[in-house]
Amino acid sequence: MKAVILAAGEGARMGPFTASEPKVMIPVGNRPIVEYVVKALVENGVHDLVIVVGYRRERILSYFQDGKGFGARIKYVVQAKQLGTAHGVFEARSHLDGPFVVLNGSNMIDGRFVEDLLEHRGGPAVAITQSDRPKSYGVAAVEGSRLVSITEKPVEVIGNLINTGAYVLDPTIFPEIERLGASGVHDLPRVLSAIASTSGVAAVRTQGMWVDALYPWDLLRLNQAALASAAEVRAGTIEPNVTIRGRVSIGDGCVIRSGAYLQGPLALGPGCEIGPNAVLLPSTSLGKNVRVGALTTVVNSILMDDASIGPSSVIQDSVIGSGVTAKAGLMAASGPADIQIEGEWHAVPAVGALIGEDSELGNGVAVESGTVVNERARVASGARLRGTIPAGGTVL
Amino acid sequence: MCGIVGYAGHRRALPILLDSLKRLEYRGYDSAGVAIVGSALQVVKDKGFIADLEAKLPAIEGSTGLAHTRWATHGPPSQANAHPHVDCTGTIALAHNGIIENFVELRESLQAKGHTFRSQTDTESLVHLIEAHYRGDLVAAVRAALREVRGSYAIAAVSATEPGTIVGARNESPLVVGLGPDENFLASDVPALLKHTDRVLYMMDEEIVVLTPTSAVITDLEGRAVAREEERITWTLEDAEKGGFEHFMLKEIYEQPAAIHETLLGRVANLEVNGFFADGFTSVKLLACGTSYHAALVGKYILEEIARIPASAELASEYRYAHGPSERPLVILLTQSGETADTLGAAREAKRRGCKTLAICNVVGSTMTREADKTIYTRAGPEIGVAATKTFVTQLVALYLIALRMGLDRGTLGYEEADRLKDELRSLPRAVQAVLNRSDDIRALAEKYADAKDMFYIGRHVNYPVAMEGALKIKEISYVHAEAYAAGELKHGPLALLTPGTPVVAIAVRDHTYEKMRSNVGEVNARGSPVLAIGTDGDKELPKFVDDVVSVPRMSGVFNPVPVTVALQLFAYHVARLRACPIDKPRNLAKSVTVE
Repeated sequence: MKAVILAAGEGARMGPFTASEPKVMIPVGNRPIVEYVVKALVENGVHDLVIVVGYRRERILSYFQDGKGFGARIKYVVQAKQLGTAHGVFEARSHLDGPFVVLNGSNMIDGRFVEDLLEHRGGPAVAITQSDRPKSYGVAAVEGSRLVSITEKPVEVIGNLINTGAYVLDPTIFPEIERLGASGVHDLPRVLSAIASTSGVAAVRTQGMWVDALYPWDLLRLNQAALASAAEVRAGTIEPNVTIRGRVSIGDGCVIRSGAYLQGPLALGPGCEIGPNAVLLPSTSLGKNVRVGALTTVVNSILMDDASIGPSSVIQDSVIGSGVTAKAGLMAASGPADIQIEGEWHAVPAVGALIGEDSELGNGVAVESGTVVNERARVASGARLRGTIPAGGTVL
Repeated sequence: MCGIVGYAGHRRALPILLDSLKRLEYRGYDSAGVAIVGSALQVVKDKGFIADLEAKLPAIEGSTGLAHTRWATHGPPSQANAHPHVDCTGTIALAHNGIIENFVELRESLQAKGHTFRSQTDTESLVHLIEAHYRGDLVAAVRAALREVRGSYAIAAVSATEPGTIVGARNESPLVVGLGPDENFLASDVPALLKHTDRVLYMMDEEIVVLTPTSAVITDLEGRAVAREEERITWTLEDAEKGGFEHFMLKEIYEQPAAIHETLLGRVANLEVNGFFADGFTSVKLLACGTSYHAALVGKYILEEIARIPASAELASEYRYAHGPSERPLVILLTQSGETADTLGAAREAKRRGCKTLAICNVVGSTMTREADKTIYTRAGPEIGVAATKTFVTQLVALYLIALRMGLDRGTLGYEEADRLKDELRSLPRAVQAVLNRSDDIRALAEKYADAKDMFYIGRHVNYPVAMEGALKIKEISYVHAEAYAAGELKHGPLALLTPGTPVVAIAVRDHTYEKMRSNVGEVNARGSPVLAIGTDGDKELPKFVDDVVSVPRMSGVFNPVPVTVALQLFAYHVARLRACPIDKPRNLAKSVTVE
């Protein structure tokens, strides 16, 4: 069995975190989301992968190369225009000669999820799961183990079984995709709905993990899931009087200064510098070369590569992009917030700051809960931020 | 500069040799050949790429053999000058990388004794010399011959009378032994071996190895046994393959953010840099060749600005001719491969003059890392594209780290300022990424400029050597004639060359040279030359003065060379691609130059 991983999309709803990389490459638990998909496939003996790439594809190519480092053989297909998932799979057709699995590269899954999908035999199938927010997805109507239809983002609640975007297909799908593509249908759910009534589509209920990230604050859920199963490594220099509890990974070349308190699950990438008496609490991931100043507290957050947070700061339920620098006294505390993304408002029960890559914050900046700071913003000392700060913007 | 591989084992040698040889093609590719000992010694060689040779090869049987890919130094590329070379009777075959300095004397004395020469190469004199010493023992004959030879060499030799045996030797040219089960290998570089084994023995200068399928015995030129520890290679062949990218060069350009991370890893927090900066040096001398020399020139500004220590950069090939001053500077040697002959020569000269030496090098276990007192590795991973990209920017990163450490040790850099510079260092991977994200814009501009026959690159201060590096990139891969000038020198001559058909690439980032650069751009505009400027994000003034702008993220002064270089790399790459040039293997160039 081969697998197609869809990884061409930009992920515009991820706000500043897809400025430089596609959604599937956003790190959770210090690994790109799509690496968990690759790992789940390889665990189940699926080694031949076709990754459909598009937006910022070089990031994916550079990371996975030919796949040997991940136990896989990877071929790449470029989807120049991201018309839809069916179109993406169609672009990969020259690499597919038998049944194949289709997975979305931006959903975090585990080996069990793939195992359930692989148990299905004969004909096309779609993997479905229960969701507590079905209105954001395609809701599946099923009879027994047969799919009846998929309704995209229904206005009213019509069920809580949703399409996970994972499928088992074979090359007989390609003429269907081509036929429907001619009439402007380019997404797989509609192609499958169309053939459900004629040739029949199975609905596979999976017991495995499936976590989706639609919005930046969802990354914290993915991060928690990733850290719950992360392997523990300990390297670097740990000075005397450091307290480490729970599952804490510390990468090569890290320096943890005296008095720091680290409560797992935590993952620290290589080269991090944790200042004296800093406090890191669950579930937090720090990428490569991240600096956390003295007396700073970080709770349930993601700090991506090269971020540098000054002393005496508080960071809760926040996502801090690569290379963000904040001088002393950054206040990014958690609370309920209404956040506007791509023109839509979302009520988020607990969220801190969402700060895009390479933004620079001066001393004593206070960020109200749910503030989105887009990439490369400049914020002067003493500023108080709320709402959305535009990319490259300056706040005095 | 050439590549050698050898095989002694139980399998058919031919496919193994050809496959391994292709992984050394970056070392030279103007001619290639194989010699295999089966029922007799069979040699096939020709001018051209390895693939051309492969197409016309008969199926040669035999499980001992050697192969060679050549980059001409003595004698133009031709079938006669291709390696391997054979002796008068066609019994002994030899492949050689390096230069035999006394080949003219050897040749004359051998011709006087009746030996017949077929090529113009220095190598052929060595195979006849081995023949002259041959008394039924190949290793004894090689040893005796090498004692009469002056120069650099890595060699592999086989004889029809000793099937199952290869003799190898090295002096100042790289050679590694690969160890497998019931088979052993010889190669100029590790990538040629990785498909078959990760166990290697590194050979040292003036050593000889005898390989059979079951043994690898190293001796010195006197025949005394030498003990050598086996080493394991931890990187894999996939590190050396293209993985979805169109060219190695593009792959390597895109690997730069990760390569910078690797170089910084574990070194930023405490500035743990392998060096001896507390030894009270009063100056620094940086020595290198080619692209590494441009890094050395940038390094001069980095060291002077951050560590406030007088620094100078010099070409490694020129250093030996200048008399050293009485003071003893710290000598920093930059070489990607660690095998660059000119830079190795400079390292030996620096030691002779009593200087401490510090190498910045990318290849673990290379000759330079053994010659220099200390080494800082750039950890960029293998670089296959002939045009250096990621190794250049990681050399700069190593220089920033050295400058920071030196500044702190000398007390010329305060801790607060050091922290600010460390944050700037941490931001480099994303500054590079931001430039990579503009690849499409740069490609669009390349279309506009790709037809130019000549280009000029100008910059000031730290960006002057960056202009040189940009011009070198476009020369070597795009075959566009390009010159770099310090912008202030334009009016002292080069302005006369400017016409509307000669684009000028001007580095005009926002630093203390910005105002002056803008007036230089004005001088250029007055001659009607189109100007492509590399500017800083958010600069609204610059577009009014120039035709096109590629902007890079704002950095403080000495850090600008990193993103600017990446923009110039992409520009050269896209121009070369539009001109359909063989980007990874430009004509007449080889990756590392191991001859002087």
